[in-house]
Amino acid sequence: MEKLIGKGRAAIDMVVDRGTLEEGVVGELTVSDKEFGPGAVIGTALLAGEPCTVIAIDAMKRNRKFSVVYAGIIGLEEAYKMALAVYHSIKADEHKPLARKRPLILIVDTPGNGPGKLEEIFGMNKATGAYQLALAEARKKGHPIVALVIGRAISGAFLCHGLQADHILSLGPQFGTLVHVMPLTSIARITKLDIEWLQELAKDNPVFAAGPDYFFRLGGIEELLDSIDAMRERVIAHVADVRRRKAEGKEEELGPWGRGLLGEVRGGRRVRAKVMQVMNDEFAAVADRYLS
Amino acid sequence: MSSRWEALQHQSFLECNARQRATALVDPDTFTELAGPRDRLSSPHLPVLGEAIQFDDGIVTGVGLIGRKPIFIASQEGRFIGGAVGEVHGAKLVNIVRLARESFDGMTAKGNLPEERRPAVVLSVDTGGVRLHEANAGLLAHAELIDQFQDCKGKVPVVCLIGGKVGCFGGMGFIAAAADIIIMSQNGRLGLTGPEVIEEEMGKEEFDSSDRSLVYRTTGGKHRYIMRDCNFLAADSIAAFRAALRDALALPYAALDAQRRIGSLEKVEEQLKLVDLCVKLAPKDSKDVWKYAGNEDPGALVDMTLDTFLKQVKRLSVA
Repeated sequence: MEKLIGKGRAAIDMVVDRGTLEEGVVGELTVSDKEFGPGAVIGTALLAGEPCTVIAIDAMKRNRKFSVVYAGIIGLEEAYKMALAVYHSIKADEHKPLARKRPLILIVDTPGNGPGKLEEIFGMNKATGAYQLALAEARKKGHPIVALVIGRAISGAFLCHGLQADHILSLGPQFGTLVHVMPLTSIARITKLDIEWLQELAKDNPVFAAGPDYFFRLGGIEELLDSIDAMRERVIAHVADVRRRKAEGKEEELGPWGRGLLGEVRGGRRVRAKVMQVMNDEFAAVADRYLS
Repeated sequence: MSSRWEALQHQSFLECNARQRATALVDPDTFTELAGPRDRLSSPHLPVLGEAIQFDDGIVTGVGLIGRKPIFIASQEGRFIGGAVGEVHGAKLVNIVRLARESFDGMTAKGNLPEERRPAVVLSVDTGGVRLHEANAGLLAHAELIDQFQDCKGKVPVVCLIGGKVGCFGGMGFIAAAADIIIMSQNGRLGLTGPEVIEEEMGKEEFDSSDRSLVYRTTGGKHRYIMRDCNFLAADSIAAFRAALRDALALPYAALDAQRRIGSLEKVEEQLKLVDLCVKLAPKDSKDVWKYAGNEDPGALVDMTLDTFLKQVKRLSVA
């Protein structure tokens, strides 16, 4: 079975209209410095004839300025570069009607955020936070955002690049896709729980097991794809679906909140809604004291 | 005024538990807990793994007042699984932010809302991020939190307080960065990757995670203050955190919003100047950056009392 891990650039070509990617250019933004966040690929392409912003990971690139940033890791430059692409997408379409806000396509294959000393001194947390806020803003301003997991979507890096999308698609586990916070072996080591027991429990407990199929059951991924050939058609279909829901004012069905609702429908996260309901009811009983 | 509330004011923020912090940060006798222990909303996932539960799942959520301002507060309990975020814990965190924003929407729908009545979110953070026992659900809750923060923008200020034993790491590290205001004590630590993981990645010669002084220089309150990653540095008492919080919330919304680190194109461009500086300076240690910021004897900052530090310190500026 063909796999796409490490092949972010190839995946872009499989999704957008053939040969249309203009790399480094988004609206007024032009990034010509090839050494600036080389692991993050940003640009403008056509998708079914319509302009879109592409944000992908090139896992073959190493950032010469930051020793821990290689193999798809998102470093300081990479995260801010991706944030720039988002803000310039918003700016470019500022005066366009909802139906013409360009989609953002995120191609996801990243194992983590830069885990180095320089990153901590200068604040890797700000860089990855900045990109997420940018995506959330674009989503709320009407841009359809669709993420496609082709390889690794791991922990904080998945939060950064993926989990703020309106819809998330993932190639199924047969393509070697890795979606998790930590592999079970690490969870076992840190929690001091027995690995074989954990593996047995993981079979029907999606809240800690690793894999896109478990995230699907939690509502964390909208659709699993069982063929690489289907990627382009499904991304186009999801962009249209997201756009329709936004036009109908159904934003709450989309993004992280929408996936919270989906988690309940699919049965993977059943207490979330109950907890919120209890809080809402208890607050309603005392709200007057605080709000009037 | 209740004497218990009064007594708490003088206690160490670091030593207090989550409920004490929540109760004592707002005005006396105004705190109402929502989804408290009586509701017994504990994690359904921990017992499956044979782990102990808590009836509040390690987080206290509720509403109180500072003056006439409604405060929606969540306070994490670092002593329960390191304050880690699971499904229930995460849902409480997410929903307290949502309740604040919905309250704002409701109040403004009724007419003009004076600044002193504008609701605020206060998160007393003490966490390493995702709870591994229910890691996937915890991760998804983090994404919801950023989503709710963005909904608050232009409406409800979000303030993070960091001064507990665990600090603020993992996914919660970038959630704190996304707040309007961060208040820390010298004991507080803020970052993304925990010290052990950096050591694993870079080797012990580059980063020795057992070197407490190194860890504090890299992530502690004083460093974050110099970097302008935290807006206020408070002494380690409930009263000091409360005073800093009150001062911050007394600012008009636009002034609060201006103190953000990230959240707009302009802020990202500003941060990129810092990244350029990082490349140019290639610091071996935080002290190199403190020196660049204008602190002639950076080593002396480490043991300085807070008052002296605040009087003498030069903060980094790339503007």
